[in-house]
Amino acid sequence: MPTGLRSFLSRLDNAGRLVENIVLVTLLSGMMLLAVGQIVLREVFDTGIIWADELVRLVVLWLAMMGAIAACREDRHIRIDALSHLFSDNVISGIRIVVDLFAAGVCAVIAWQAYRYLQLEIEFEDTVLVGTPAWIAHVIIPIGFALFSYRFLVSVMKRVVSIFIVEDEAAA
Amino acid sequence: MILGSMILLLLAVFGAPLFAVIATSAMLGYQRDDTDLMNMALEIQSIADLPFLAAIPLFTFAGYVLSESEAPKRLVRLTSSLLGWMPGGLALVSLAACAFFTAFTGASGVTIIALGAILYPALKHDGYPDKFNLGLVTSSGSLGLLFAPSLPLILYGVIAEVSIDDLFLAGILPGMLMLVMLSVWSLWVNRTNRKPLASFSWRDTGKAIRESIWEIPLPFVVLGGIYSGFLAVSEAAAITALYVLIVEVGIHREISLKKLPNIMRSSMVLVGGILIILGVSLASTNYMIGAGIPQLLLEYVSSLVSSPVSFLILLLIFLLVLGAILDIFSAIVLVVPLILPIAAQYGVHEVHLGIVFLAAMQLGYMTPPVGLNLFIASYRFDKPIMHVYSATFPFLIILTFSVILIAFWPNLSLWLLSE
Repeated sequence: MPTGLRSFLSRLDNAGRLVENIVLVTLLSGMMLLAVGQIVLREVFDTGIIWADELVRLVVLWLAMMGAIAACREDRHIRIDALSHLFSDNVISGIRIVVDLFAAGVCAVIAWQAYRYLQLEIEFEDTVLVGTPAWIAHVIIPIGFALFSYRFLVSVMKRVVSIFIVEDEAAA
Repeated sequence: MILGSMILLLLAVFGAPLFAVIATSAMLGYQRDDTDLMNMALEIQSIADLPFLAAIPLFTFAGYVLSESEAPKRLVRLTSSLLGWMPGGLALVSLAACAFFTAFTGASGVTIIALGAILYPALKHDGYPDKFNLGLVTSSGSLGLLFAPSLPLILYGVIAEVSIDDLFLAGILPGMLMLVMLSVWSLWVNRTNRKPLASFSWRDTGKAIRESIWEIPLPFVVLGGIYSGFLAVSEAAAITALYVLIVEVGIHREISLKKLPNIMRSSMVLVGGILIILGVSLASTNYMIGAGIPQLLLEYVSSLVSSPVSFLILLLIFLLVLGAILDIFSAIVLVVPLILPIAAQYGVHEVHLGIVFLAAMQLGYMTPPVGLNLFIASYRFDKPIMHVYSATFPFLIILTFSVILIAFWPNLSLWLLSE
């Protein structure tokens, strides 16, 4: 791989990680403060923000999607891990190419379907949080699944490339 | 259809991400029923309709912060000063400290890494046999799963639509039973090495209490807040997270602000992995309920067993097998909706069912082939996996006995509820 491309890819990787961290930190801190703030308002001032509970629950959805996006990057999705202790690394790598290709395909389908649903929400002008367009709250689903799909493809590519590189070295 | 299911099962066993497998099975079902596939999106976004779910990211984050700080060391010092005077003290200290810590960190292997690293060498230093220590530390990694506010308890409450407050109460006695049985076993194994850790000293205890003065209120905030009716579970979680953050970052200054984003990230990676499975499972569960699968399952089960006792035996066997192949979180979201109506037919209380379910799944952490704790311990303490298996085996047997007791003694779980 040319070094220019490699440094571009590693910069892309760092930038992606940074964006994920910023969003995760914002969401988690925001949720903490919102939930605690709501308790203080209720217990001390006997009042509350009407949309706070709904917003907290939407933040959970976003945290779930963002956490899952980060889990893709770190290869930390939950899998039945029964075989990796039985086979050699090469066999495992081959198996992973197949199953991750499958995962990439499934995620692409869901991303597309979620995008269709989003268009429907825009068309019907669904709302959440007292008048906010619902698609803004739900846009994370097609984006998230598209990114899952992309991540699984990247990991497949990496494995395929590493097979060829090893073979090249063996041939040389 | 059978061919499709077989292929999916193979993909799952060969390590395809579980959420992708579950999503596919739901979408195949949609396809068969001519349901529009975009229902998938609707189901996933209904994560935002589940009450109390915010408790999961918040408690997980609090647990990660605690384990990154010096709190595990303080916890061991505090328990040592309180229990160390007893014969076999350090073994008891290990069990109690691990149970407490797991309840807060949600049995994600964090206990073995954070506490095991302190306890394992300490046990060795005190003359306990190596094999015993390894088994103790490995099996303690999931002990405490039945104590509030552990994540599996909360997740079961959300999925089964059972009061989480009740589950927190119901877990106390069964959790204690497991602790006591393991303690008795530890004392018996080490009957030749019965020297107490140290004699009880008011001064040391006072010092340990002062050291942990900021962490001691935590269980009271969580449980007190919930049972006084002052806080919902998710609110108690928010206060816990903020409190832990202030104590470990602001007061103890053991975690720098610079490290915080990465701690948040790794805790949310775990949460994302669990909740994405929850999201797609909502779709597959709704499809299965629509297709009448629970009724079919019930008919099948009632053709096998007729009495509640034989149902519980069947359930236990099923859960032990399930726990050996599936992690506890996936098992809860996938299986609980299907067995809940069946259990109700046999008169099993839904809270009791939850405790039995989690207690049995806890064994899954230490059964081959996928027992998470076995691999973490093998990795962390640099021991061959077969060695960890055999070291953990006696503990597994004892915990299996305790699970059987818990299953056939419903009042143990329900006793505190009726108060």
